[in-house]
Amino acid sequence: MTWVAWRLQRTETLITLGILALLAALLVPTGINMANAYHHLGLSSCTGIEQGSACGQKIGDFQMRFESLTHLTDWFTLVPGVIGVLLAAPFIFDLEHGTYRLAWTQSITRRRWLASKLSLPIAAAVVAAGVMILLITWWRTPDIRLDGRLGNGTYDAVGTVAIGYTLFALGLALALGAVWRRAAASITVAFVGYFAVRIFVDTYLRDHLVAPLKATFKGNPPARLNHAEILSQTVLGHPHVHLQGPVGAGSQIAAPKGATPTVFQAVYQPASHFWPLQLTETGLFVGLAVLLIAFAAWWTHERTV
Amino acid sequence: MIEFHLDSRSGVPAYLQLVQQVRQAIRLGILRPGDQLPTVKEVVATLTINPNTVLHAYRQLDLEGLTEGRRGVGTFVAESRPAIPASDLRSLRTTLDRWVARAREAGVDEDTIAALFAEAIRPDSVSRVA
Amino acid sequence: MSEQAAVRTDGLGKRYGSTWALRDCTLEIPAGSVTALVGPNGAGKTTLLHLLIGLGKPSAGRVEVLGLSPRRDAAVLLPRLSFVAQDHPLYRGLSIADTLKLARKLNPSWDEERAQARIERLGLDPHRKVSKLSGGQQAQVALTLALSKEPELLLLDEPVASLDPLARREFLGAVLEAVADTQMTVVISSHIVSELERVCDHLITLVDSRAQLAGSIAEIVASHRLLTGPRSDAASVARVHQVIRESHTERQTTLLVRANGHVYDSCWEQHEVDLEEIVLAYLGYRPGANRWEAGAEEVVPV
Repeated sequence: MTWVAWRLQRTETLITLGILALLAALLVPTGINMANAYHHLGLSSCTGIEQGSACGQKIGDFQMRFESLTHLTDWFTLVPGVIGVLLAAPFIFDLEHGTYRLAWTQSITRRRWLASKLSLPIAAAVVAAGVMILLITWWRTPDIRLDGRLGNGTYDAVGTVAIGYTLFALGLALALGAVWRRAAASITVAFVGYFAVRIFVDTYLRDHLVAPLKATFKGNPPARLNHAEILSQTVLGHPHVHLQGPVGAGSQIAAPKGATPTVFQAVYQPASHFWPLQLTETGLFVGLAVLLIAFAAWWTHERTV
Repeated sequence: MIEFHLDSRSGVPAYLQLVQQVRQAIRLGILRPGDQLPTVKEVVATLTINPNTVLHAYRQLDLEGLTEGRRGVGTFVAESRPAIPASDLRSLRTTLDRWVARAREAGVDEDTIAALFAEAIRPDSVSRVA
Repeated sequence: MSEQAAVRTDGLGKRYGSTWALRDCTLEIPAGSVTALVGPNGAGKTTLLHLLIGLGKPSAGRVEVLGLSPRRDAAVLLPRLSFVAQDHPLYRGLSIADTLKLARKLNPSWDEERAQARIERLGLDPHRKVSKLSGGQQAQVALTLALSKEPELLLLDEPVASLDPLARREFLGAVLEAVADTQMTVVISSHIVSELERVCDHLITLVDSRAQLAGSIAEIVASHRLLTGPRSDAASVARVHQVIRESHTERQTTLLVRANGHVYDSCWEQHEVDLEEIVLAYLGYRPGANRWEAGAEEVVPV
């Protein structure tokens, strides 16, 4: 049965490997390049939130040099969605082409068939996501040292959430496919659904999955705001005026007149919340995935003739 | 070895056709005592008929004493009553051919020839000597 | 040969939504028989076969295959059954060799030699991809899988519809050879009535999701008669026998009846009827209507 499940999944697994290979082909040379530039500019002594002019200049140079490349890799957050829905294809094709009528009338039960046919894509999804995470974490090391891990592009790719994303996309495609029994339609709608849910979670839920903290300070931001995700920044006494741009003294210009010395208030997620946030969001997506996959299994077992 | 054929239009049940063909083959010397009949599987493969039909036919032949089944080996033509000498059959056939030729010359069509013959071989027919 | 029925159903029915695809089906299929399952498209043949192989669950009644329940006892029963679904599904991306390997891995009792021998005899290249085979060749491969599993019961859903006459002959020949070898029970569903009489020894007709006729062909042919006579009412005959079809011209009445014992009525001339005529009459038969009507409506399975 293992050989059977693998053989029927072969094409999609190879495509997934191809995608990962493509990513590696892009990321490995550029990553080495970035790491070299990082050391060359001596940026290892420039981490932290201090605004020393020499460091500031070097950081600015470095980031400008790799800005477009970094923005490009931000889009890699869609790759878990692509891989997830792709891995659902063999299961849906089995239903669409009627070959399940061949499979379920050999000597193994429907249940065993489902267990094998589902566990393989699940395993592949987890492994593929894992590879992606390792690859991108390595690539973004300089960026992480400079800016921490809470920025959107980085956060998506260097923690465990990518595993949750891939499994969620897989589950969504499987659930739709079990009911519709049309691979092309299910995969497309699943991917769109993945995209929509990601946008929703990123915009409204992400920053609040773990309770944010508040800081009040004058002048330069305190150390605990280092590599933090600032959710909002206001001037004490003027809670409705949200300041943009750099934190603390850097926002002096935008502060309302007549408020000296300016006392800032920031609502933020500290760097230490990285793992709690990651695990909560991962749990959310994995939970959804489990529900969807269980539904797909149940529907196929009970309702398919 | 005998080769069976089936005429699905004849109205005669399939098993009976097989029986008749074996009887005919024995009569004409195509099958001799000790010859093996095709196995059920072989007949089924050639004619694409239900194995039970073949079994029925072979059972019937066995009942009539024309064949005997040997377990695990096959079905064989039984030792028979003395066969008609081939020369007798040949001379009878020659006479028959001449008769048919005469009938055709006289303008008798095939159906009438067959009807005449069928009438003649009826067991209760009386042969009148002119 | 054992007396046990290979298949027993009791009031079996299957519903999709509000439509009954099969209803009130009570029949017995003897072990070792080759049974034809005949009926117009949409009459419920596929549904019945799916219920026998456990692809669907009954909505009403019971079904027993080889003494077991197809759904509940699937783990024990499936190795003893074979099924070729309509349009003989195969994995198109696999080669023939890989398809055989798949069947070998999924079936504990698998005769690899026999499977390979058959593929060779069919003149097929084992390395050819299934998608490159013709419909007829695919049907043959699907049958190879079914036969090499050495089942006790073989279920075929309209397997020969897509085959040319030569391939059809070979296909049926292979099935019958297996029956001759192993006393396998076979159920073949078909809407082609000719050819049935020489291949099958039992018959079931399904019309409008209901089983009309079920029994041995010899018995069916023996018990049906064609009655012809001067134009008259069928009522007197209908009192004793079951009139399947009646037709009238100006001067003559023809009745096809299922005789309940002997037909003594001397004003009718009696003829034997061949199986095809009988079946065709039943395919248009409506209980209670006693009249020949146009064919069944499409019932909609998923």
